[in-house]
Amino acid sequence: MAARSWDDLVAGARRGEPRPLARLISRVEDREPGWQEAMQTLFPHAGGARIIGITGPPGSGKSSLTSIITASLVKRGHRVGIIAVDPTSPFSGGALLGDRLRMREVATTPGVFIRSMATRGTLGGLCQGARDVARILAAAGHDVILLETVGVGQDEIEVVKAADLVVVVCVPGQGDGVQTLKAGIMEIADLFVVNKADREGADVLVADIRSMQALTADGGSATTAPVLETCALTGQGVEALVQALSAPPAASRRGGEHEEARVREEILTLLERGIARLVRRRWGDDSELDNAVQRVRRGETDPYSAAQAILDAMPVS
Amino acid sequence: MKETHDDIERIAKAEEQWRQEVLGPRVKRFNLEKSPTRFYTPTAEPDFDFLKQVGFPGQYPFTAGNQPFDFWRAYAEAGARMGMRPESGGGGAAGRYSGYGTAEDYRDYLLRMQSLGNRGGPNVAFDLVTQCGYDSDSPFAAGEVGRVGVAVDSFRDFEVIYEAFTGDHDIDKVPSNFTINAPAAVIIAMYVALADKRGIPLEKLRGTPQNDILKEFIARGTYIYPPRPSMRLFRDTLVFCRRHLPKLNVNSIGGYHIREAGATRIQDLAFSLANGCAYLQTGVDAGLDIDDFAPMFTFNAFGGSMEIYHEIAFQRAARRMWARLVKERFGAKDPHGMMIRQPITAHVGCTSTTLQRPLNNLARAVVGGIAAGMCGGLPAAYPPFDEPLGLGHSLEAIQLQMDATRILIFEAKVADVVDPWAGSYFMESLTDETEAAAQAELDKIDGMGGAVAAIENGYMPRAVAKSAYERQKRLENQEEFVVGVNCFNRDNEIDVSVQRVVDELYNPLQMATAEERQLVKLALLRRERNGKAVARALAALEVHAKDEDANLMPDLIECVKSEATLQEICDVLRGVFGEAEPVKI
Amino acid sequence: MNSERKTRVLIAKPGLDGHDRGARVVAYGLRDAGFEVIYTGLRQTPEQIATAAVQEDVDVIGLSVLSGAHLALTRKVIEKLREQDAAEIPLLVGGLIPEADKAALKEMGVAEVFTAGTPISSIASFIKSRVANA
Repeated sequence: MAARSWDDLVAGARRGEPRPLARLISRVEDREPGWQEAMQTLFPHAGGARIIGITGPPGSGKSSLTSIITASLVKRGHRVGIIAVDPTSPFSGGALLGDRLRMREVATTPGVFIRSMATRGTLGGLCQGARDVARILAAAGHDVILLETVGVGQDEIEVVKAADLVVVVCVPGQGDGVQTLKAGIMEIADLFVVNKADREGADVLVADIRSMQALTADGGSATTAPVLETCALTGQGVEALVQALSAPPAASRRGGEHEEARVREEILTLLERGIARLVRRRWGDDSELDNAVQRVRRGETDPYSAAQAILDAMPVS
Repeated sequence: MKETHDDIERIAKAEEQWRQEVLGPRVKRFNLEKSPTRFYTPTAEPDFDFLKQVGFPGQYPFTAGNQPFDFWRAYAEAGARMGMRPESGGGGAAGRYSGYGTAEDYRDYLLRMQSLGNRGGPNVAFDLVTQCGYDSDSPFAAGEVGRVGVAVDSFRDFEVIYEAFTGDHDIDKVPSNFTINAPAAVIIAMYVALADKRGIPLEKLRGTPQNDILKEFIARGTYIYPPRPSMRLFRDTLVFCRRHLPKLNVNSIGGYHIREAGATRIQDLAFSLANGCAYLQTGVDAGLDIDDFAPMFTFNAFGGSMEIYHEIAFQRAARRMWARLVKERFGAKDPHGMMIRQPITAHVGCTSTTLQRPLNNLARAVVGGIAAGMCGGLPAAYPPFDEPLGLGHSLEAIQLQMDATRILIFEAKVADVVDPWAGSYFMESLTDETEAAAQAELDKIDGMGGAVAAIENGYMPRAVAKSAYERQKRLENQEEFVVGVNCFNRDNEIDVSVQRVVDELYNPLQMATAEERQLVKLALLRRERNGKAVARALAALEVHAKDEDANLMPDLIECVKSEATLQEICDVLRGVFGEAEPVKI
Repeated sequence: MNSERKTRVLIAKPGLDGHDRGARVVAYGLRDAGFEVIYTGLRQTPEQIATAAVQEDVDVIGLSVLSGAHLALTRKVIEKLREQDAAEIPLLVGGLIPEADKAALKEMGVAEVFTAGTPISSIASFIKSRVANA
């Protein structure tokens, strides 16, 4: 496939062709010039998908569960997009994306598109990144998007904010039980799944979750979230889970006010990221900044004053 | 060696003085931070207890060796005078590890070997398709049929192989080795079916199925079912074999593969022992008497490396640790169960050989042979130098390998003293250190719940991958040196090469057409057999597979007799047990 | 070049060969060289490899084979890549590859063959230069 124009890629993606779709995702993810226009073109066609976040500690069997949920959704006639997020190494900037490994069952199923994403160390921007990819997949005809991340970092909690429904997966025998789940995750969960429920300690874990829900009576979605048990290997409990996935999101995350807050947050994030890019481009290797750097080093000024001086001189109030 | 504590104190003082007055200044003179060499004195083993830590060869704790002298020593000189090639086979042992193509190809190869004077039983390598429980017409089989071993799709194929073993070397007279793990129960069932068909009593069958599924999850990758059902199948083979095939070894536990996959020496030892304990526990849980089955466990080999002193210490520590585990943790009384029965001891391992200047691998193999000779094994200079070229061992390489071994035995006389390092301050403290480190790792695994738990949570496979990567990084940073690979590899070196003649043991034409011929045979089998009998047998297997307490061997024997294919049988079990999940790295 | 652009590499083991030490070590190494590595592990069918290469929009595909079946398996992978209109993605092969087969692989279209002892830094440099000149 020779280098294609944005229009070609968008058109191909909308027709559901895998190569242009994948190429489009890369170029948007890489923020190649023209990406905003591409997203503007796609946006009107990107509203038809249910985005389901699947998160939980490592070892909880999320990928296997995602795979088996996908198989079930496909049987019900859905076209499923899967976004599997893994952390970028802060040292090298590289990442090991190994979730596909566990999704063999659906890796070549027609109507299923699996994309591995690295967090790429962009705080706050990760949620936007996931949203972008989810929209592209939606515009390509996928009506369910499964967004899978490891729920251990702040980034990962950010990611699932892009979802309409959040599933938190845990597994018995992980030492501290519910303590391994970060506070933030507990607040936004719409559904708890105790996976590998055939293992010892499953009942204890379910009870732990329920008692925590009873204690946190703040009206958030997590307090009324159902707790389901599954065994991804045998398929036990999966149909019930898939049923539950079509439930509407909790009352606390529905409604006009909530939607407004989400849109505002997204616009602000896009602004922040855009401005951050501008800053780098404008001042990245700028001679004026060089001067400031030397002055700081000579002890004539400090970084705070240097930055403030530039801000003060900007024509924005 | 046992000095009194006063002696130790005096030596310690003298040592300190030496460090200050002699070693220190020298280190300083050469601008080093610490000495590049070490020296060991009695202070390294102040509480050395010879009888407890070493004992005598052939007696608990077997540190010095399993036997007062190895059986081959009794015949070594006679062999030298008669000019015998220490080739595989003869004397009731299994022959050289081999297998390729279709069963007919392999049978003909075996007959050819026999006509050349090789009398050993079959030491069977199966192709990856068979090892993974698939048939030759499975989509997974494409390109792999008959390649790394013989293709066995059904009992029919198995029988064909054994057309090479009849009359005076029928299966009651020669042992068989099967390098098979995930579907080991099915291959053992075929062996039983063969004996039944030939009217040979099962008590006469000898040999060794590898039957070591746990290492597959850690290092070798030919698994089928998840760990727990795999252990259930192991239990079934163990119980059945002890009752009906008393002379058959139960398994061949391998640290070798774990080390070759990148594990450190300590991980190799600890993980192998953990796996061994899991297998032993399976027997105990099944109600067997430890003294009845532990003596029938064998070890394939542990891994090896170029670090000669460490590998000798490793073997001593391994023998001592296994003996203690079997005796103290499992309460065994029969010393035969406490011994590590393995065909080889220390060696350098195939991953120690290099593609660059391959003749150097002969020097490397000799190091391994010396290490082996010094810890109770045949001083085998293995592997042949052209191992990493991947084209089979040439006649020249095999000749040099055998000659090196002979030189070590007869000229260097390295195996003339049993455990020559016993009592060495250095070797005893290194053995203790090795044991302590491996014990700590073993304790960690025990804390997780044992080998199966440490596989399910990914601990053992990930630890091995991490060690492999760390070694690669050390090599790339020149923190460790491999001659010709990351050092001494510039233009001023000479690329030494030698004429090699690779005896094409395996007919390449047969290799190339094996897949298509096997497919024809498979189709014929499916047409000719009694479909109803197959369906009945498979149905019975499915029912009993769902019952945790049922022993599946009788059903598997019925299935193979009915000519169900390997995959049909394995698929029934896939349906009940599920398939193993790959490990995320 | 866009500084936010990341190079994506697929590492796969086709066929039934279970020796994944080399593949894992290369995967870790390329991650530490700054690449996004999609590691698909053992027993990948040619179709799974081609589909992953397309969906993940990788810049390079790395196959690791130690069972001797590299010629047959590489051929099939190339076939599947062609079917999915992805034959121009550079293909690298590593593992136990006899010298004589390297030429055959290159003739099939393989970009480079990396055998035992190759430092990961060489593989990383090769990939970087291929991507820069793409």
